[in-house]
Amino acid sequence: MSNLDHGKFTRVTTLFHSLLGLDVFLLFFTGYAIMFNDELWWMLTLMGGASGVTAIHRITGIGLVALVIFWITLQLISSTGRSNFSKILPAKGDIDAFIQDIQFVLGRADERHPSARQFAGYKADEVPLLSYIGKGVVFIFSIELTLLAISGLLIWSKTGLAAMFQTKAAAMAFVTFHGLLGVIMLMGVMFHIFEHGMHPAFYPVETKAFIPRSMVPEHHGDDDEEPDTTGIERLSLSPSWRTVSTIFGAMTVIGIVSVLIGSIFDEGYPVPRELAIGGGPASILLTIGINLGMVVLGVGLVLSMYGNVLRIRWEQQLERDERPAAADGGEPQTDGGQPEADDAESEH
Amino acid sequence: MTNTEDLPEVNGYSRVSVLVSAVVGLAVAALALFWAQGFRLGYESLYRVNPSVEGGGIGSDWVFGNTIPALDFLIALIHAADVILGAFILVMVFIHWAAFQRLADQMREPGESASEAVAADGGSPTHSDGQGGDST
Ligand code: HEM
Ligand code: HEM
Repeated sequence: MSNLDHGKFTRVTTLFHSLLGLDVFLLFFTGYAIMFNDELWWMLTLMGGASGVTAIHRITGIGLVALVIFWITLQLISSTGRSNFSKILPAKGDIDAFIQDIQFVLGRADERHPSARQFAGYKADEVPLLSYIGKGVVFIFSIELTLLAISGLLIWSKTGLAAMFQTKAAAMAFVTFHGLLGVIMLMGVMFHIFEHGMHPAFYPVETKAFIPRSMVPEHHGDDDEEPDTTGIERLSLSPSWRTVSTIFGAMTVIGIVSVLIGSIFDEGYPVPRELAIGGGPASILLTIGINLGMVVLGVGLVLSMYGNVLRIRWEQQLERDERPAAADGGEPQTDGGQPEADDAESEH
Repeated sequence: MTNTEDLPEVNGYSRVSVLVSAVVGLAVAALALFWAQGFRLGYESLYRVNPSVEGGGIGSDWVFGNTIPALDFLIALIHAADVILGAFILVMVFIHWAAFQRLADQMREPGESASEAVAADGGSPTHSDGQGGDST
C-alpha cells in the first residue's frame, strides 16, 4: 500500500495551492524580515536590505492579489465552486469531530471522527470534503489573505495612506496593523505544515494537496463487509518518524510562541513611547525562537516542492503502468497521457 | 456540467472558468498595481526598518506618536486576536501531536513483518493497538 489516500483536490486546486503557498511563504519571509528585523537581520541582509525586501514584498503582494481574485472568481463562476460553498459551512459534525479528537488523544475513542480524519483508508466514503480543521483553515486563511491584501495595498498607495493618516506615525501604525494581522496567518501556516507534514501515515508529506484526485485510483465495493477500521494498522511507521516528528513538533510550538511574543514586544510600535530605536527587548531566546519559526516555514516550502516532485513521479509511474494495460482491452485513454481514474465513474 | 473529457475529475473546473478567473485575477492585480503606484507622494520617506539597518525603512524617522485613537484601538484589538488565536492554534498543534502519537502506535513498527500484524486469514486485523480497546 502506498501512502496515497483519497485526494479531494482537483488539478486546478493543487496548482493553486502550490502557487499560493510559494507566494505566501515569500510574503512571510519578506514581511517578517521587516517586522522582526532585530531577530531576522540576516534574512533582511540576504534579501537585499530594506529596499530589496520591500520590493520583493510588493511584487509578491501583487501576486497575492491576483491569486486571491482568481480564486474568488473561479468559485463564483464555476458550478464546482458554487457547489462547494455548502461544504465549507460549519456543521454539527465539526464540533463532534473536535470533541472526539480530544477523546482520541485521551484514549477514550478508538479512532478519529470522519470529519477529523486525515487518513481515510478503507473508510474513505465517510470522509467529507473538508475536515473541521480544513474548514477552519479555509475560513481563517481566506479572511486573513483578503484583509492583508487590502491593507497592504492601502499602505502601498501613497495617497491612500496619506489621505487617511496625517502623521507619519499614524501611517506607521497602519503598517503595524497589517503586520500584526499577518501574525495569525503565520501561526496558522506553521500548524498547517505540522499537520500535513507529520501525520504518521503520510510522513514526510501528505500528498492530497499535490496529487489531484483524478490521479488517485479509488476502490469501492472491494470488500463485501463494512470495514472495521481505516486499515492504518497495516501501514508501517517510518523509522525516523518518532525522532523527526518530536523535533519538528517542538520547533512548531517554539516558533508559534516566539512570533506571538515577538509580535507583542517587537512590533516596533509605538516607538516614540519607548524611544527604543535599535530594537525592542532584544533577547537571545526570542531570536532563536523566531528563527526556529522561520525554519518551520522553510521546511514547509521544501515539503510543498517535494509534494510537487512526488506528483511528477506519480504521473510518470501512472503513464508507465497505463501502456501495457491498454493492450489487453482496457479502456482506451482519450486524453493522451492523463490516466483516467476510477472516480470518474464512481463519484456521483 | 464541466468538460469531463479534458478534466477527468467529474467535479473539476472547466477550462473556460479557469481562464476567465485567471484573466480577472490578473486584470484586478494590474489595476491594483496601477492604483498603488500611480499617484506619488513622499511616502518612501516613511522609514520603517530600524535606522541601524543599512538604508533604513518605513517609519524609522518618525517624530510624532500616533494620534489617531481608532488606530490605537485597532492595534490593541489585533494584538488580542493574535494572542487568542495563537493560544487556540497551539491547542490544535498539541491535539494533533498527541493524536499522531496514538495513530503511530496503531501502525506497525518499522521492523515488524506483515505476518505479525495482520491476521493469518487476511481478514480484519486482530492486531491490538496497545490501548486495550477492541475496535467495533
Ligand atoms: C502558506 C502556505 C499554505 C497555504 C496558504 C495553504 C492553504 C491551504 C488551504 C486553504 C487548504 C484547504 C483546507 C484544508 O484542508 O486544510 C489546504 C489544504 C492542504 N494543505 Fe496547504 N497551504 C499552505 C502550505 C502547505 C504546505 C507547506 C503543505 C505541505 C506540508 C500543505 C499541505 C496541505 C494538504 C495536504 C492539504 C489537504 C488537506 C485535505 O484535503 O485534507 N499546505 N492548504
Ligand atoms: C500573507 C500575506 C502578507 C503578510 C504575512 C504580510 C506581512 C507584512 C509584514 C509583517 C510587514 C511589516 C510590518 C511592520 O513593519 O510592522 C508588511 C509590510 C508591508 N506589506 Fe505586507 N504582508 C502580506 C501581504 C501583503 C500584500 C498583499 C501587500 C500589497 C499588495 C503588502 C504590502 C505591504 C507593504 C507595502 C508593506 C510596507 C513595507 C515597507 O516597509 O515598505 N503585503 N507586510
